[in-house]
Amino acid sequence: MSGPPDLEALRGRLEGGDGPRFWRSLDALADSPEFRDYLASEFPAASRLAAAPDRRGFLKLMAASFALGGLTACGDGRDYEVPYVNQPERIVPGTALSYASSAVFDGFGNGILVTTRNGRPVKVEGNPDHPWSRGGTDVIGQASVLGLYDPFRSQAVQHLGRPASWAAFNAAMLPQMAAWRAGRGKGLAVLTGPVTSPTVAAELARLLQAYPEARRYAHSSRDGLLEGARRAYGQPLETLPDFSKARAIVSLDGDFLDLGPGQVGLSRRWSEARRAASAQGRLLPLFSAAPTPGLTSAKADDAVPASAARLDAIAHALLAAAAGGAAPSGDDTVDRWTGRAWAALSQAKGVGVVTAGLAASPDLHALVHRLNGALGNTGATILHHAPVAEAGASSLADLAGAMDRGEVRALIVLGANPVYDAPGALDFAERMERVPLKVHAGLYYDETGAHADWHLPLAHPLESWGDVRSLDGTVGLIQPTVSPLYNGHTVPEILAFLGGTDEGTDALALLKRRWRNEGEDAAAFEARFAGALRAGFFEGSAAPVLSPTLQGAPPSPLRGGVRGGGGSGEIAPVPPAPPPPPAPPHTGEGNDVDVVFRPDGTLYDGTHADLAWLQELPKPLTKVVWENVVAVSPALAAREGIATGDLVRVEAGGRSITGPAWILPGQAADTVTLGLGYGRDVPDHLSRGLGYDAGALRPAATPWHLTGARIVRTGERRSPATTQHLGTLPDDEEGRAILRTQVPGAAPVGDPLGVSAPSFYPPPDARDRWTAAQWGMAIDLDACTGCNACVTACQAENNIPVVGREEVALGRWLGWIRIDRYYEGDADAPATHFQPVPCMHCEAAPCEVGCPVEATLHDSEGLNLQVYNRCVGTRTCQSYCPYKVRRFNYLDYSGGMPPVTQQQRNPEVTVRARGVMEKCTYCIQRIATARIDSAKDAHAPIPDGTVETACQGACPTRAITFGNVADPQSAVSVAKRDPRHYALLGHLNTKPRTTYLAALAPEGRRT
Amino acid sequence: MKGTADDRPSRPAPAQLFSPGADAIYRLVLMTAAACLVALPVLGAGIVRSNYVTGVGVAPSQPVPFSHKHHSGELGIDCRYCHTGVEKTASAGIPPTHTCMTCHSQIWTGSDMLKPVRESYEQDKPLVWRRLNKLPGYVYFNHSVHVTKGVGCSTCHGDVTSMQMTYRANAFEMSFCLDCHRAPEKYLRTPAEVWNMEWAPPSDQATLGPQLVARYHVRGGERLTECGICHR
Repeated sequence: MSGPPDLEALRGRLEGGDGPRFWRSLDALADSPEFRDYLASEFPAASRLAAAPDRRGFLKLMAASFALGGLTACGDGRDYEVPYVNQPERIVPGTALSYASSAVFDGFGNGILVTTRNGRPVKVEGNPDHPWSRGGTDVIGQASVLGLYDPFRSQAVQHLGRPASWAAFNAAMLPQMAAWRAGRGKGLAVLTGPVTSPTVAAELARLLQAYPEARRYAHSSRDGLLEGARRAYGQPLETLPDFSKARAIVSLDGDFLDLGPGQVGLSRRWSEARRAASAQGRLLPLFSAAPTPGLTSAKADDAVPASAARLDAIAHALLAAAAGGAAPSGDDTVDRWTGRAWAALSQAKGVGVVTAGLAASPDLHALVHRLNGALGNTGATILHHAPVAEAGASSLADLAGAMDRGEVRALIVLGANPVYDAPGALDFAERMERVPLKVHAGLYYDETGAHADWHLPLAHPLESWGDVRSLDGTVGLIQPTVSPLYNGHTVPEILAFLGGTDEGTDALALLKRRWRNEGEDAAAFEARFAGALRAGFFEGSAAPVLSPTLQGAPPSPLRGGVRGGGGSGEIAPVPPAPPPPPAPPHTGEGNDVDVVFRPDGTLYDGTHADLAWLQELPKPLTKVVWENVVAVSPALAAREGIATGDLVRVEAGGRSITGPAWILPGQAADTVTLGLGYGRDVPDHLSRGLGYDAGALRPAATPWHLTGARIVRTGERRSPATTQHLGTLPDDEEGRAILRTQVPGAAPVGDPLGVSAPSFYPPPDARDRWTAAQWGMAIDLDACTGCNACVTACQAENNIPVVGREEVALGRWLGWIRIDRYYEGDADAPATHFQPVPCMHCEAAPCEVGCPVEATLHDSEGLNLQVYNRCVGTRTCQSYCPYKVRRFNYLDYSGGMPPVTQQQRNPEVTVRARGVMEKCTYCIQRIATARIDSAKDAHAPIPDGTVETACQGACPTRAITFGNVADPQSAVSVAKRDPRHYALLGHLNTKPRTTYLAALAPEGRRT
Repeated sequence: MKGTADDRPSRPAPAQLFSPGADAIYRLVLMTAAACLVALPVLGAGIVRSNYVTGVGVAPSQPVPFSHKHHSGELGIDCRYCHTGVEKTASAGIPPTHTCMTCHSQIWTGSDMLKPVRESYEQDKPLVWRRLNKLPGYVYFNHSVHVTKGVGCSTCHGDVTSMQMTYRANAFEMSFCLDCHRAPEKYLRTPAEVWNMEWAPPSDQATLGPQLVARYHVRGGERLTECGICHR
């Protein structure tokens, strides 16, 4: 958009019924001339070709490509066949072999199956048997296979920035260890991330046994949640909702669907509960109030933007009503929302869920616990268990204090990067300089590594032994799927060495030592361990549910911050945290905005910032790639004259950050959102120079919230690269062609079955028709949370390269499945919809008519094929495709990949060259495998569920169903008989094989 | 008309400046160019299809001069003894050194020829064989389904039992694959004949072929020529 939004005009348009019902962006809603130009140009991506280089430049390029062209003919180095010397059992060259393991997300685990081919891990799938993740995955887990091959990974021990060796490190540590032993470890500090691994915990305990006066610190982003429980129950507790019994869900800044350690498990449980409710003809309503929109508020049936302060007021109002007081009343949108939320909660006493998220304040968490207690939800739909992460560690702030006082003589940082992600107010780097000996172990030579004396490379989870616990406490095992690529070791190995044990430091031995019960027979243990290894987890290891009692009184709504007394529970309470320092005084000058900090939608905390897949993955709501933005509300933008793409400076307490503004519909009026994970500063790394570092503004006491900041325009502009307009679809007049919503109990919105319009396309060949499997897909829009796991899974499975920020800005994003995000209604508080769009595999495919060389055509199983070796790149098919799902290789995106990254490629899928069109194939390689297996078995029918597309397998909510539509019993056929079933742009009569199930909506929303 | 050097300035310009044969070279060049225009593509196509480029019939030197003729033809070792994956997986497989050593730890234990095999086994370093049969990256071939459906080894690989040093028997151009995918009845064998390297179509192939197609459930013609069968 070229200027600040004209809110009045937009509102007028929407209220007058003149505007579109569903809209993708404020530009589209405003129908600005720039946006019309964008749509009018058939190939926005080709605009750079039109503005071609001048004649001289062109000739230069041609000469260079001619000269280099010959080089490509010089063999590809694969003219040799290298067999094993001794063929390992079970490894069959060219076939896939899966190992059960765990993906690690900020210290927490999800069960995965790692597919290896020829000894190389190439793809991550969900482990369907894992009790927590149950077959789902998230983007971080899917991208972890790229992380293994990441050329930016730390590859060697470094001493003072120079390459060294493990032997040199060991030699340097021996006198230190002797000194620690003599001094009982005084001055030694060990800093970790959240430790959920029982083996790491065991090794830490042994280390502290060897050096009793050493101190242990943990850098965790989840302290607020546990502190909230401590204020309500007197002990830190994990809180998990049980959606299966719930009749109403109220989220106060909740994030159970957002990227995080709980996303996979909670999304699945929520969508299952919603499906079950829908089967009974009712809606499981989700109410959300949040200062900034996330996936949870996007999926809410009734969402309202509310500032952080307002959330406390809402919680107090609900709590007062639950205690028998008056029902919440009031006049503004938030009050009315509170009234509706209370009405739903009061009807669902004992079967309601009130939830708050990672970024909610401890006080809000405590209020939510009391509210759930007062409503009788606790113990029924709200379950507590002991904290999964090991207790007993002090916080990062304590470590900063100890470093200040000079008490830390040696600092060992294991798998954390506090120099980057500690709140800026702690000045961690500067404080760390006062420590005489600093050791850092990490996957990357990152900011903390650069500040340390010794940097040690850690082994990637896909190449090491270990264990990790999920949010529900289930212990998952990590097993290597390849020999370590570099010289990395695991955290338990380093701890065992530093502890000075004589029992060896082999990772597998340490793991077994932890899990072998005292007195357990060796053979019995080996059998038990092997069973767990095959399953990927220890059966029945989830944490037991506790029934704590609420302690003390809720904090008064006026004062706030009264803590519940320390009570006695099943777990010894940790000492109360020191009172937080007073909030920084308001400057009083200029605009006074609230700043909230949020983990990035694809990078989370930035640990994986060097993974290009995650960088180029469109953020779920803004669809921005390769950077973070400063999200402002439409109202604030209108008041301050801020347009999307304006560089703005956010200042507070003498610090400031500068980033491009993004006007985010659904953002609370005076709240600015800063995304974490960017602004990295490690030389030569991919992530360097991308975005701004929001951590600089983070206060130490309230790391997710800052009051009294100023936002000013710098006068410069830098439009973020976004895919939000990629593939804008032509809607019909009723607005029913793209998105539909179904009110439970109302008349079905789906297309009537068995009706087909006349067509000029020849009818399918009756001879061959239905003899083979006919592939089709159904996508349940109600279950789709927009989490992007399918997009990353598709990228991993189908060798889709990244193209870079500039190319994305030109509209050349290459993903085969995109998730369209639509808004509905008012720009201040819109409803949000997600719609994944892969190739539709139309039975009457417009693209096939246009191709002059028949490079795209149908097969008898209903697949719309793309034949790369025939394609000459006219791009006619792309222009004929009404769904805009075809992607063109404008440049040689795959060729320049580092050799180590090429190891990740799926050998079952062609790597596309420049000048070739590509698109979703329904994972034809997986279909071919099943088809060949069936052919060898006398053409036995392929059982339903044998072929699972990559997107389908990755989906944590099972929104995607795929299978044989010719079989009336198949899951996809059943899905397509749902009354919510409709075809995208069905009026075009393309007869798409990919179809949708309308999202559920409450009554009252325009349908 | 003729003139001398002396009187040239005073005479009118000659009507015919060039002799009739003056453009002979020009015509020759033109004709040669035209001929080249036709011949070059023919020559080019010839070179591309030549054994020199496709490697057909060329036996490259290998780390060990392994003879299929001796092992398979004369000793009668079954194909599947070494190429273990051929009935189960896409790739037939190249035998690990261990397979060679099953026999050669007992016989020809001192042979110079087998020194690289012994070294490979002792030092745990794989043998590196020159690759003979290679398909482009966008073609996906599965050995197991072909073998199960009655396509014999020698149909593609030729009679390896007669090869002292192994060479490539066919160029594997697309037309080679399509010949069979269009008319499988001409090539299919009974299961017992699949491993027969000297197989030639029997006299009753015209009647046997269609029976085999039906028996193997091979869907020839249109289905097998769909692009997605081999390209993905």
